Amino acid sequence: MQNIFERENVDVAWCPGCGNFGILKLIKEVLEDLAVPKQQIVMVSGIGQAAKTPYYVDTNMFGGLHGRALPVATAIKAANPELTVIAEGGDGDMYGEGGNHFLHTIRRNPDIIHIVHNNMVYGLTKGQASPTSQQGFITKVQVSGVSNEPFNPLGVALSLKAGFVSRVNIGNYAHAKEVVKAAFIHRGYALVDIFQPCVTFNKINTYQWFKENTYILDDTYDHTDFDKAIKKAFETMPMPLGIIYQDKEHHATFEEHLRGKDTRPLYQTQHDLSKIQELFNGY
Amino acid sequence: MTIEELKKYNGRNGSKAYIAYKNVVYDVTQSPLWQEGEHEGLHYAGEDLTIQLSGAPHGEEVFKNFPVVDTLEAYESQNSTISSLPWTFKMKVERWYQKYHPHPMTVHFPIALHLFAAGLDLLFLYDQKEAYALSVFYTFLVATIMGFVAMIPGILSWCVNYNLSTYPPFIIKLIVSILTLILGILNIGIYLENPDIVYSSSAFGIIYHGIVLLTGLSVIVLGYYGGKITWGDHSKMKTGQTIKDIHENEGILLKIPEEKNELLKQQDHQGLAILIGGAAGSGIDTIEKILSEAFKAYGYYVFSTKEFMSRVRGGSNSTLIRISDTPVHAPCWKVDVSIAMDEASLEHMQERWRSDTLVFADMEYSHNMPDIIPVEMKESAKKFGDLRYINTYMAGFVFGLLKLEKRALLESIGNHLKDDTLNVQVADEGYGAGTNVENITVAKLPQNNKQIMENLHLMDGTTASGFGFLAGGCNMVTSYPMSPSTGVLNFMASCSEKFTIIVEQSEDEIASLNMVLGGWYAGARAMTTTSGGGFALMGEALSLSGMTETPAVIYLAQRPGPATGLPTRSEQGDLNMAIYSGHGPFERIILAPGTLEECIECGYLAFELADRYQIPVIFLSDQHLADSMSTIGQIDFSAFEQHRYIIESDKAYKRYAETEDGISPRSVPGLGEGLVCSVSDEHDEVGQITEDHETRVRMIDKRSRRREMLHANAILPKISGNGNIAIIGWGSTYSAIEEALSLLDDPHLCHVHFSWVHPLGEKQLQVLEAYERKFVVENNADGIFADQLKLHGIKVDDMILQYNGFEFFADELAIMIENAVKEW
Repeated sequence: MQNIFERENVDVAWCPGCGNFGILKLIKEVLEDLAVPKQQIVMVSGIGQAAKTPYYVDTNMFGGLHGRALPVATAIKAANPELTVIAEGGDGDMYGEGGNHFLHTIRRNPDIIHIVHNNMVYGLTKGQASPTSQQGFITKVQVSGVSNEPFNPLGVALSLKAGFVSRVNIGNYAHAKEVVKAAFIHRGYALVDIFQPCVTFNKINTYQWFKENTYILDDTYDHTDFDKAIKKAFETMPMPLGIIYQDKEHHATFEEHLRGKDTRPLYQTQHDLSKIQELFNGY
Repeated sequence: MTIEELKKYNGRNGSKAYIAYKNVVYDVTQSPLWQEGEHEGLHYAGEDLTIQLSGAPHGEEVFKNFPVVDTLEAYESQNSTISSLPWTFKMKVERWYQKYHPHPMTVHFPIALHLFAAGLDLLFLYDQKEAYALSVFYTFLVATIMGFVAMIPGILSWCVNYNLSTYPPFIIKLIVSILTLILGILNIGIYLENPDIVYSSSAFGIIYHGIVLLTGLSVIVLGYYGGKITWGDHSKMKTGQTIKDIHENEGILLKIPEEKNELLKQQDHQGLAILIGGAAGSGIDTIEKILSEAFKAYGYYVFSTKEFMSRVRGGSNSTLIRISDTPVHAPCWKVDVSIAMDEASLEHMQERWRSDTLVFADMEYSHNMPDIIPVEMKESAKKFGDLRYINTYMAGFVFGLLKLEKRALLESIGNHLKDDTLNVQVADEGYGAGTNVENITVAKLPQNNKQIMENLHLMDGTTASGFGFLAGGCNMVTSYPMSPSTGVLNFMASCSEKFTIIVEQSEDEIASLNMVLGGWYAGARAMTTTSGGGFALMGEALSLSGMTETPAVIYLAQRPGPATGLPTRSEQGDLNMAIYSGHGPFERIILAPGTLEECIECGYLAFELADRYQIPVIFLSDQHLADSMSTIGQIDFSAFEQHRYIIESDKAYKRYAETEDGISPRSVPGLGEGLVCSVSDEHDEVGQITEDHETRVRMIDKRSRRREMLHANAILPKISGNGNIAIIGWGSTYSAIEEALSLLDDPHLCHVHFSWVHPLGEKQLQVLEAYERKFVVENNADGIFADQLKLHGIKVDDMILQYNGFEFFADELAIMIENAVKEW
């Protein structure tokens, strides 16, 4: 049976073999499993190959500007806390152009799912380094190889006390799906950094490379232990996959902090004009 | 030197008098024709007279007599376009008339002839020869005819050059010359009736000779007053005193144009203006609030504004408080009372004093300024344990000085200060000191009316704008703080406890506007507050609002740029950015309120219009409007209908469905069966990305189709006055222009105020067609709005621009307008 989130008549713009196909399938399956009505879901994205994902999922979407998905998603959730809000994009979009929003969205802790396709390269602009590119990676711009320290989203998120920090490899589909589902269920900001190869512009970080350089955290790992999580976040070669950290306690989300128990969509609220009059008369 | 440096050499108060002509600066200090920096009462030292010379009765040869001191650096002349503009016939005639002065040319004939006739008559009376009698008659006849010839241009000059002035010399001349003419005609009649009358000592004979001799005297009187008008009244002048001082001391109201400028400086404003200076952090803000509220409670109309440096402590700031018995909404430059709360503020405020300004400062402050009235403010504050009590002390002092009941003041202190018992004591002591000031009476103290004031509300533009946004149903504010816009963010935050309003301080302005779009997309009525620098960062998101047809409201409080510019000062410099910011074609509305009432109205409308037309609406304010406080009447908020222009979607919902007016019904996620898809890429009706070239054209056309509706619903300019010369302003200049025009009291002038500045539609522009001449007043360096008018085919005759960081002051603006209009 066809997934109910399958969007009709769309021309998918990705290269054959792209890791994004796996992520698209995964998202649709998770949404179906969670049984959220599609009218109650909003996918927000920026610009990039990964940011095209919402065009191919049959739900509400706001395809915004490069790097700016998170502030839009945060505001949508605050304006209507009843919606399930997903912000999705690539490593350049979310960690580069939108780096500042990444930091401050974590601090705000809105109840949104943040999915970042991490292929360590720029696909849409054809092969430049991304913030997560490994040192030494040669491109048409970084002609003598990348010299910058790769951006560590897990370390950054943990340093800001993100409530849910995870990393998966789309090559390990079943594991990835399980973690993404947990991210949806988490109340508060949830980061899923998804390793995904770019088959056209990144000949180094391939399916094979990700397979060889990652490992799945087993059941003995306590992902509620913050200190251990910090250590895991900085492990390289191989890099750990799974829920790196999840806070045991619930911290008030952005919208809970602003609105308390009031979850009415803002379009249902109106100011009491007599209260405005009263306030004005006090001047 | 630069044109700015040149202005300092105005020849007044002992400074040198320099003038510039064709980029050369001449020293005219020694010239008797340039006493006190004035020439003919029409031209002033410290100016570039290149253009003015073309209207002078002499050529450039006169400059040969003066020593050259420097060259004038090139500068942007506001008048440089004069010669290139087409002139009406009437203007040409006036110009020709001003240049050639036919009256001085013709007036000498009757004077000489009447004197000659009188002289000959004396000779005749001594030796009664027929030749003398005939000569007397014919000389008298020609004198009378020539008198008539001289009177015509004289009256014309009075109308054209002197604007029907009632300055006494004009009136005397008018009466005497008409009498001379009547007597002349009478005498000619007497003679023609019977020429022999000259020999008789009958009544008619005596009258005949009497008139001949009397007209000899009357032309002397005419000549004397003519000289006074041409050369000015120097006879009574003491060193360092100007002609205006003399007339002022004599209580004569001058209305001749060339002296009116100075007159305005002396009698510039209604009510009483009080300027208080002090360092940042010294409580100058508190004294403004306390006094403004106290004055209002006492029954005065109040206007207050502050100018401050971009620092939290120190520096030199000042606050202006005007009180009046008629509504007052604009600042004035010259003040009646000035209070220095610290030493530095004396020098800071000095340029705003007139000769009769009462200046109070602490006795310990060292300065070499004369006539400063010492007050024991520091010692008194110290007695209460803290120097910071100076502000409450001086608030009390002001109330005491004006001999007002102190109850209103003490109540206001109670409302504003936590530690009110001690503060009330301090104010009480200051009040006592104020009432004890001897030998000083504050003139012009307005009448109070508590009843009227009870029905008015005192607030600044920030608060009024905030009330507008509240009335507009704003329920989300996401902003990055930036002066001078932060006040609205603070106001909305303060309301968030009483109303459902989400207020979030964003990490940057890019996030601010993206959040606003997210909010509207999900059904909120969201806005952001910012100033020029922050708005510059919003360009891309503004464009996203255009592409996704997501409404947005942006409160843009301008301050002078470029870059950081003058962060705490005022300018109307961001209009171009507001109009053109964002890439690609899309519609937007820019509202620029000028009064507190308009702040509320535009605040409400911003949300209504954004929602109705699904476009960004920019509310353009500035530091001056935001930070100035005055009174506003009762507003009935129940009149602000709350609309929500959103629909419940069905399964087949298309966010960008093609419609006749280009506006697709807007739904929000979760409201109905359909899905709401918005993307920043070009898209089809569903909201799916497309590169189909036909769809692209259809979508652009669809988005731009609403332009007609915007034009049709645009707010028409507000007009006050019936004159045919339009003084055009927009936004925050409203009140200053209004007061300036009321000071000038010239029936030819008419104020045309735009609060809807973009897009300009035919209906708005048609309003301007009625005016013969158009002057645009703007608080910026480029005349941005004037450029917009020109772009729409409106001929702008001249611009009155100010870009020194200050808003327009009504008294100064009156002079600027008068000078600009006089140029024509």
